[in-house]
Amino acid sequence: MEYQLNINKERQQLTMTPKEEGQYEICIGEASHNAGIEWISEHILHLTIDGKQSTAYVADGPDGKIIMIDGQVWFVEDQGTAARKQRCSSGQKTPTEVRPPMPAVVSQVLVEKGNAVKAGQGVIVVSAMKMETTLTAPFDGIVENINASVGDKVTPKQILVDITENKAGE
Amino acid sequence: MFSKILIANRGEIALRVIRSCREMGIATVAVYSDSDIKALHKIEADEAVYIGLSEPSQSYLNIDKIIDAAKQTGSQAVHPGYGFLSENADFADRCKREELVFIGPPANVIRNLGDKITARQIMQESGVPVIPGMSEEAADPDTWIQNADQIGYPVLIKASAGGGGKGMRVVHSSDGLVESCWAASREAEAAFGSGVIFMEKYLEKSRHVEIQILADSQGNAIHLLERECSIQRRHQKIIEETPSPALNPELRNAMGKAAVQAAKASGYVNAGTVEFILDTDNQFYFLEVNTRLQVEHPITEMITGVDLVREQLHVAANLPLTLNQQDIEGRGHSIECRIYAEDPENEFFPSPGKIIFLKEPSGPGIRNDCGVYSGFEVPVEYDPILSKLVVHASTREQAIQKMIQALKSYAVLGVKTSIPFLIDVLSHHAFSEGDTYTDFIDTYFQGWKQETKGLEIAAIVYAAHAMIPKKNTLESDVTQLTPWQTLGNWKAY
Repeated sequence: MEYQLNINKERQQLTMTPKEEGQYEICIGEASHNAGIEWISEHILHLTIDGKQSTAYVADGPDGKIIMIDGQVWFVEDQGTAARKQRCSSGQKTPTEVRPPMPAVVSQVLVEKGNAVKAGQGVIVVSAMKMETTLTAPFDGIVENINASVGDKVTPKQILVDITENKAGE
Repeated sequence: MFSKILIANRGEIALRVIRSCREMGIATVAVYSDSDIKALHKIEADEAVYIGLSEPSQSYLNIDKIIDAAKQTGSQAVHPGYGFLSENADFADRCKREELVFIGPPANVIRNLGDKITARQIMQESGVPVIPGMSEEAADPDTWIQNADQIGYPVLIKASAGGGGKGMRVVHSSDGLVESCWAASREAEAAFGSGVIFMEKYLEKSRHVEIQILADSQGNAIHLLERECSIQRRHQKIIEETPSPALNPELRNAMGKAAVQAAKASGYVNAGTVEFILDTDNQFYFLEVNTRLQVEHPITEMITGVDLVREQLHVAANLPLTLNQQDIEGRGHSIECRIYAEDPENEFFPSPGKIIFLKEPSGPGIRNDCGVYSGFEVPVEYDPILSKLVVHASTREQAIQKMIQALKSYAVLGVKTSIPFLIDVLSHHAFSEGDTYTDFIDTYFQGWKQETKGLEIAAIVYAAHAMIPKKNTLESDVTQLTPWQTLGNWKAY
């Protein structure tokens, strides 16, 4: 089977073909390797690649797999899935929504519904693990709705403040 | 000795205190908030009392609730751990009024030493060298400018009421001094409830070396050697070790003596830490006293063989110290790495969330004070420390290698941690040369990113996880198979 992967944002391709029990042939780039692979338990994989043994810890994460080997961490996703996700989202590179960068608690709301805001103006303050971050308006506009109040627990999936952009000429 | 103690804290330190209490036959009471319903410290104590919402002011900082919990369970003493109420003189006072023993120094000592300006004055009066700086409160810009000129740039603005990097600013010239003072003051007000700031000379290249002290209520005070804590990021320690590569026996003795002097001058009782700054000429200056057990206390325990929590309980029970200064000897070398749930590639931003899988390192000379487990949801409301990984070996080089191997065998999936970063720091030549100054991270590890060597194996693992079914795990092979299970169609699951 062929895999096209993004590993910590680097592209990597490989093919893996089962041979006899527990043995696989792996082609990465120019090279071909013999690997013996078996599960130790739900999150622990044991590999022998060209005679050298490794233990890997693996789990499924929200965006792919999380892999840890010898203290190094890898976030790996399938390039196809990543591309689909990119298309589904607004496709814009610059943030256009007011979302917290990590799970956090709202500590201060700086604006009210109906306020006019400028790009870069602080609209809401969130805190996580004793660090505070002020989230800003991505563009000039009017505050349409405030979707969270002080004390709420919020996640990166949530848009905290809806801002309607002032388009030129409006 | 007490028969029941309440631990007014959470996570790894609460668990660590519970362990010593258990060994001493003392019953333990844990307190917990909404986020900690399944926390290890809550589960492991003999009793647990719910004290409120996750937000610290509603639970772990709520003095009334903690006192109520102590009284309703018949606890005789309270161990405050570190952070939270451990350096809150009002809490110590309140315990006293409620006839609960506060395991720590008396309230007035906490108050005096907790105010950095007062602490400096006490030290100066008893001949302990202090860093050139302001010794009086001032809240007006003109005095600030005057003081800074007198001290000489660069200056370090600090919060009088707290630490941990909050309210700290380095200022290199008079431009921006006043704004930095106001900014530091606002940050200090938010973090500690007091906007009082002061200034010290900033030593560009310095080491942070602290001395563990222990004093009883009968006037005896000893020191338990030093800890080198120079590897820091955002003014917060991440790696500590003992002995310090910078100290020779003479300097160690001098600093130890100064620390004991500081303890006696301030009327100190119980365990504490006197922090010093060492400049490039190996001159030491008093920085502050931490009037509690510190995060990094395990490395001292490893080289001295002393259980500091046990000693704290003895002192709190009004017993005299069982140890003399001559009894304190350091053997070998110990290093601690703080394992935080944070992203080392993104300014060490906290990384809360669910720990999908955790596998702790173990082996000779390895100690992991861990407050979490596989499946635990790391809360957003508290300090993101997951564990303290500590090693002990005969020599510094061996301790470094032992720590690197321990880090490599530590697996945490689900939250980001500093593990890959710490491995690189410990592998760096400057670390093995003992070149550990407080600017170490800024000098060698700005904008650190994990190496990509090893990427190919990660690709193979991904493919294996996706392709190979888990049915044939070794687990299912080695479950105890009895004849009942090997007969007919029965399988071992």
